[in-house]
Amino acid sequence: MTNAPSLTPDARRRFGRLTLDVRQSISPWKQAVFVGGSLVVGLALSVAILAVAGIAPGALATELAGVATAESLRGVLIQAAPLVLAGLGASLAFRIGFWNLGLEGQMIFGGIFAAGVSIYDIGPASTRLVLMGCAAALGGALWVLLVAFLKIRFRVNEIIATLLLNYVATYFLFHLLYGAWQDSKTAFPQSSPFRPFERLTEGVYGINSGLFIAIGCVLVAGWLIHLSRLGYYMRFLSANPTMAGIVGVPVKMLTVWIIAASGACAGLAGFVNVASQEGRLTQSYASGYVFSGVLIAFLSRNDPIVVAVVGFLIAVLFITGQTLQVFYQTPFAMVQMIQAIIVMAVASSEFFIRHRVRWIR
Amino acid sequence: MTPALQLTDIRKSFDGALALDGASFESRFGEVHALLGENGAGKSSLMNVAAGLYAPDSGVITIQGDAIALKGPSDARARGIGMVHQHFKLVKPFTIAENVLLANRRPHFSSGIQAIRAAIVKQAGELGFDIDPDRRVDTLTVAEQQQVEIVKVLVGGVGILILDEPTAVLTDTESEGLLEIIHRLARSGTAVVLVTHKLNEVKRYADVVTIMRGGRTVAKLDPKQASAAEITRLTVGETVPLPARATTDTGPTRLNVGALSYTRGDGRVMLDGANFHVRAGEIYGLAGVSGNGQAELAQALIGAVKPQSGEIWLDSIGDISRASAAKRRQAAIAAIPADRYAYALAGSLSIADNFAVAHIRSGRYGGVGFLRRRAMRREAVAAMKDYDVQGARSVSEKASLLSGGNAQKLVIAREFSCAPNVVVAHSPSRGLDVRACAAVHQRLIAARDGGAAIVLISEDLDEILSLSDRIGVMSKGRVVAEFDRPADRQDIGRAMVGHG
Repeated sequence: MTNAPSLTPDARRRFGRLTLDVRQSISPWKQAVFVGGSLVVGLALSVAILAVAGIAPGALATELAGVATAESLRGVLIQAAPLVLAGLGASLAFRIGFWNLGLEGQMIFGGIFAAGVSIYDIGPASTRLVLMGCAAALGGALWVLLVAFLKIRFRVNEIIATLLLNYVATYFLFHLLYGAWQDSKTAFPQSSPFRPFERLTEGVYGINSGLFIAIGCVLVAGWLIHLSRLGYYMRFLSANPTMAGIVGVPVKMLTVWIIAASGACAGLAGFVNVASQEGRLTQSYASGYVFSGVLIAFLSRNDPIVVAVVGFLIAVLFITGQTLQVFYQTPFAMVQMIQAIIVMAVASSEFFIRHRVRWIR
Repeated sequence: MTPALQLTDIRKSFDGALALDGASFESRFGEVHALLGENGAGKSSLMNVAAGLYAPDSGVITIQGDAIALKGPSDARARGIGMVHQHFKLVKPFTIAENVLLANRRPHFSSGIQAIRAAIVKQAGELGFDIDPDRRVDTLTVAEQQQVEIVKVLVGGVGILILDEPTAVLTDTESEGLLEIIHRLARSGTAVVLVTHKLNEVKRYADVVTIMRGGRTVAKLDPKQASAAEITRLTVGETVPLPARATTDTGPTRLNVGALSYTRGDGRVMLDGANFHVRAGEIYGLAGVSGNGQAELAQALIGAVKPQSGEIWLDSIGDISRASAAKRRQAAIAAIPADRYAYALAGSLSIADNFAVAHIRSGRYGGVGFLRRRAMRREAVAAMKDYDVQGARSVSEKASLLSGGNAQKLVIAREFSCAPNVVVAHSPSRGLDVRACAAVHQRLIAARDGGAAIVLISEDLDEILSLSDRIGVMSKGRVVAEFDRPADRQDIGRAMVGHG
């Protein structure tokens, strides 16, 4: 017998108690309310922490409003394109339960393939950018397919494999930048600058054309996942792969193609970074994108359309963070902490989406 | 005499759906008390309340006259209530002794495991189980795992033993052995609650039966006195007619399995040159003691495993032994696997999705680019009505919400929604109640009458005998004997065990 104090049945009836039920279903609206609510809590916490760090909420509001100026907005949009593409790459793979943590490696190979097209002067100038984009997508896809092969053939865990291959990709990039592809004029560890027709420039309304690539990818992915047969199959693939195979879903082919698409998106993110912001192959155009990509995929619940929105918001956070760094000497770690707080807040909303808390008497 | 366990007016709802609606139950020491009801009647829910797994919304639990509030399963265990669940709660890579120790904690591991080992041997000896405490659980058969579960509970000094559908996973002989032991256990003073939906078990082994229907306890009677017809009527609410059998002309050979061999990854030969054929418009029953290659044969037919040699020949397209599952679908092979949650349903997706998925490729719901969701939903709704799938408020709810019988009806609705050429049904009525079982059998017969070739693999000999036009017996990966209808039960039984 236990000696712990316990309520008699009688007392229980008087005070009631809290019970947890597993929800059988939940309306999308309610779900949105829970996610939105926890997002507000997360943001409130972040504002509080910044206030303690010496940035008054009023000043913060001014800085955030500052993003709305044309100049800042352009910066945000340039930043948003690779973030959205990385988030898209992560979410596609996550949808079928392939934990692609090698976004950086795939971005690096995307950049290398694109730069290769430039360095070896492949194709006419008029189609050069398109060719570079295609090469980048191919580079990212090939790099992740290496892991897909290992997983399917030898059951190698993809989390470790993709993550560690990031380092291999990084050092291969260094090998090129300190060797064959080093800029002979400056002797810095970066490639020679791309020619003007090899740069993603500002297109309509002064918006960088990298963003159009991102939006195009989002629309295609949105169509695939929400409307097409492929997206329907993907749901079964992640819910029960054994059963999916038996009812006629082409499991292997689908897995390989989705993983390749995930790598291709990351490769394009690399291309967008080298061809717009950097204008050449540098050492660090991919760093930090694994975390951001996973974060965006997670916050958007792997929905491509939401990925675009979240990617934009994360870009706002980045740019605001840069401003705070410059004007208030806030360390960049603060921006990362805010990201983390928001992730945790949204993660906790999952509990309320899955469970119903009731007070019964 | 005070009742051992008394549950009064128990109510419990899950997310708004009422599972128990004022159920009452009372069991005494020295009795086998059967709790009878259809799938989803609330039997397991009620017993989970008694075992401390669910806290009731209202109602009173009394143990030997004291009203109590159970804080959890370990609290229930401390008060002498132990439950053996339908799905065993064992840690597979652990030994039997370690599993029993886990549930009956001792202050020190090394001395504790010795004490537990001795207790297991003693308890198993009393019950007549032959179990070695040092074997790993994953090397045990299902029947042995169940014995471990029972020993685990009894070692803790439990006076009230609840068994949730203990015979669902056992063969006929194993079931009889177990029920004899349960009967003896009760006679030695334990209060045994036997949750079941099998009428013959109740008639033969129970001292008292409480019947549940729709979350309520509807009757408590003496099964020796009451007639089977009356008990059935109380259980299902109305009498269920048995499917009438019409003999049909059988057509040409539709499916031929030739010298099919399959060796499992661990080197065990599961199919060793199996041969048989099935004609159109025929139910071919495959009987056998579980583990003689039936499961692997079913998987090879539906494309879940690839046999190393031999052929599976289908009259419309030829050999399909290495064809993809998708190609088999195109040839209209319907699959009703034994483990429906692992092989036939995606529990986290909606009922409508689970219904429609098999027909996506045929273009029934639109092309590659756009799926017509509304058509999928509409057809799912119609099929659910047609096949009497109950337990969900709409087809957008998750398939995992459905109880065993209704989940099986959903699988059958999907598999039969485009006239199948061949049906592979493995234990299609496992875990189903009388009414659901009859519905499944009717569907199989209707498919046969529609000209399909049906392979019925079952360990339930009654099911095989009542449905099959021809019967094959499997032993050690081969079909060792065939019988035409009407087959003699004794002959089949001899063939099943005779080829050791």
